[in-house]
Amino acid sequence: MSYLAGKELRIVGFLCNWCSYGGADTAGVGRFKQPTDLRIIRVPCSGRVNPLFVVKALLNGADGVLVSGCHPRDCHYSDGNFYARRRLEMLKRLLPFLGIDERRFHYTWVSASEGARWKNVVTDFTKAIHELGPFHQKEEKTECS
Amino acid sequence: MFIEKLKEAVRKILPEVDVVIGYRQGFDPLHATPYFLDKPEQVDQLIWNPLCVQNLCSYIPFLKGKVGVIVKGCDSRAIVQYMQEKLITRENIKVIGVPCLRVISVKKVMAAINQQTVQEVTFEGDNIIVKIPEGPKTIPSADVAPRKCATCQLATPLQYDVLAGEAIQSNKPQDTFEETKEFEKLSLEERRAYWEKEFDRCIRCYACRNACPMCICQDKCIAESRDPHWTSQRANVTEKAMFHMIHGLHLAGRCISCEECERVCPMDIPVAKIKKKISMDLKELFGYEAGMNPDDTPPMYTFKVEEATIEEHEI
Amino acid sequence: MADTGFLPKENLPALLEALSKKFAVFAPVLDGEVVLFKRFAPGATLCLTRPANLPPKGIIFPQSETLFNFNFKKDPEDPKKTSLELKENLDFVPTIIFGSRPCDAQGFRIYDRVYLETDTADPYYKGRREKTTIITLACNAPSPGCFCTSVGRGPAESDGSDLMMTELGKGYFFEPMTEKGKEIFKDSLFEDGSAYKEQAQKAHERVSALVKKPFAILEGTPEKLLSLFENSQFWEGETAKCISCGACTYLCPTCYCFNITDEQVGNSGERIRSWDACMFFHFTLEASSHNPRQNKHQRLKNRVGHKFSYYPKKYQGVIACCGCGRCIRYCPMSVDISEIVAHAQGA
Repeated sequence: MSYLAGKELRIVGFLCNWCSYGGADTAGVGRFKQPTDLRIIRVPCSGRVNPLFVVKALLNGADGVLVSGCHPRDCHYSDGNFYARRRLEMLKRLLPFLGIDERRFHYTWVSASEGARWKNVVTDFTKAIHELGPFHQKEEKTECS
Repeated sequence: MFIEKLKEAVRKILPEVDVVIGYRQGFDPLHATPYFLDKPEQVDQLIWNPLCVQNLCSYIPFLKGKVGVIVKGCDSRAIVQYMQEKLITRENIKVIGVPCLRVISVKKVMAAINQQTVQEVTFEGDNIIVKIPEGPKTIPSADVAPRKCATCQLATPLQYDVLAGEAIQSNKPQDTFEETKEFEKLSLEERRAYWEKEFDRCIRCYACRNACPMCICQDKCIAESRDPHWTSQRANVTEKAMFHMIHGLHLAGRCISCEECERVCPMDIPVAKIKKKISMDLKELFGYEAGMNPDDTPPMYTFKVEEATIEEHEI
Repeated sequence: MADTGFLPKENLPALLEALSKKFAVFAPVLDGEVVLFKRFAPGATLCLTRPANLPPKGIIFPQSETLFNFNFKKDPEDPKKTSLELKENLDFVPTIIFGSRPCDAQGFRIYDRVYLETDTADPYYKGRREKTTIITLACNAPSPGCFCTSVGRGPAESDGSDLMMTELGKGYFFEPMTEKGKEIFKDSLFEDGSAYKEQAQKAHERVSALVKKPFAILEGTPEKLLSLFENSQFWEGETAKCISCGACTYLCPTCYCFNITDEQVGNSGERIRSWDACMFFHFTLEASSHNPRQNKHQRLKNRVGHKFSYYPKKYQGVIACCGCGRCIRYCPMSVDISEIVAHAQGA
């Protein structure tokens, strides 16, 4: 257990290699102050993000999941994020049907040069998750704990 | 008699194909069972009544050679979807269409007769008469029909090579997803509690998956793979929910709403409800219904640069 | 004390409540349209009018259980050295299965030969089995698809049960079969049942006559099935409609196959034993990716063969099927195992 237990929540971020991961890097190089709840998983493209990644994370201990890719028309592979948009929108609508607050999942677009925007996305999303509180109160976290 | 027309159609098709899939009487009068036949003398065993519920299309992608299959309107959407996804060679399939206004849910009949043993079943007008030890019981068919029948628009199959009987028009209202919308009025906590209770019964027999005409991965399903390790062998609600999400999401834009998944569930879990919600969203977002037109592209296989219906989300 | 007892129906909840104080009591409870064995709590909707959808096998042989937890510990002085800590999971509580059916109870007898009556008894099965008392309700009507009399059993068969009960009008007639059953029977709620014994006997005979008989004799069936082993045409025909799901196996009171998997995160994890089914492709999938049961007809052949040929050959002719009919009743495609056996006999 980390010393931040109780203060920090578990947020998983799937970031595309070409834009958002670069954006996060830019934010770091710019020394922007950011919350530290987010654990980043780098993926080649937002089109690589299977909506089931998000479900698996949420069901197995994450309090929030963020997916970020290149802005539409900016995809390194030209159309990966277009597919991602459709899939993630479907997921965003399905989650509340199963009783999972859709605010626990957010998808957005951040380019490699948008360090400041990245900072805002992380800060706002982390704040939103903290307002919602921990997702797994009663359940034992068997896997990722 | 309709059954004679059906047998006639099967006899005609039989020499052109390797096997015909139809229905025959199952272990009791309430159950029909799929029947694979390849000889003319077997044709007489065929039956047709509202208890012929199974979607026989589910077998087709796994069969070699030329196959004849008896298909209802709802089942025919599977053929169309197979064509969209190029899962079958249409010329190898001989579709024997049957007009159908309504089937009957065995589960609903069993609930209506308190799960007793059925001795005899007859159909009279729009009623099913079930003989149980305490005597015959008349039930209006509409009361024991699966939910898909209430809004069925396909009384005549979309695809057929031979139609047994006359083409008929559907007499049902369009599906407005009332049940789904009603469920969405519950609070988040109520919805979560609902699914936890329902999924808790799941025994992971995978009947829903194996009966699904669009679950073509079957033995290669990620729900059972060790690597990647999507689910463990624990029998908790998390794992069960994960499986049902795998099933549901892999059918987004492909589910043809035959509701076989729900019909076959031995634990009576309303799994089709999830697929119905996905179908509702797909219709709203992309104006798409799976299995209606062979030339369509499933919405998850394509995109638009400008999505008129998807707005960016604020945190 | 009398040999048999009688309990008026209105006293049944009181009996279960009394038993709940000393045991974990599992009873068939209605959940929607499904009957499941659940931990009894006062006010639960008991359902004794039909067999449960899922037999009580999971109470003794859970769908998934942690055999032990493990933890690799690194030596802080010498990180190359690791030691292994194991925590076995062998705490079992005294349990009662109330309201199982004769077929459900006999399922455990099928397991006993495999898990108990060997040189190396299974400690998990043994632990639960020995602490469990089974109170069985004789059937008062056959259920759709069931055929217990054809496999040498019956709707009032007591083998495998500790205490038998029979519904008679206003109450239940009880007859203890074992010492464990007699323990339960000591409860003061029971009245003397000797006046009802004959009535119960008649009820058993009446129901027995109602059960369907898909095949008359079983003699020679194990050998006949073996002789059909290579006849893939026969099996392909019989199983064409099977969709190779695990409903039949998981709902079967005599299916006992399992899988063992390790779930590890970081340095710690658990070893899990869970139900597995010969109907699944992965059941026989080998590490080399070769699969000796590649096709569904080979898998269903194994299910039929195991119950009606291999098991009886190994265990003095005992058929590993108690005819509960669940695999027929709940099969998505209405595959009928009794029909397959009958066809095999005639093939």
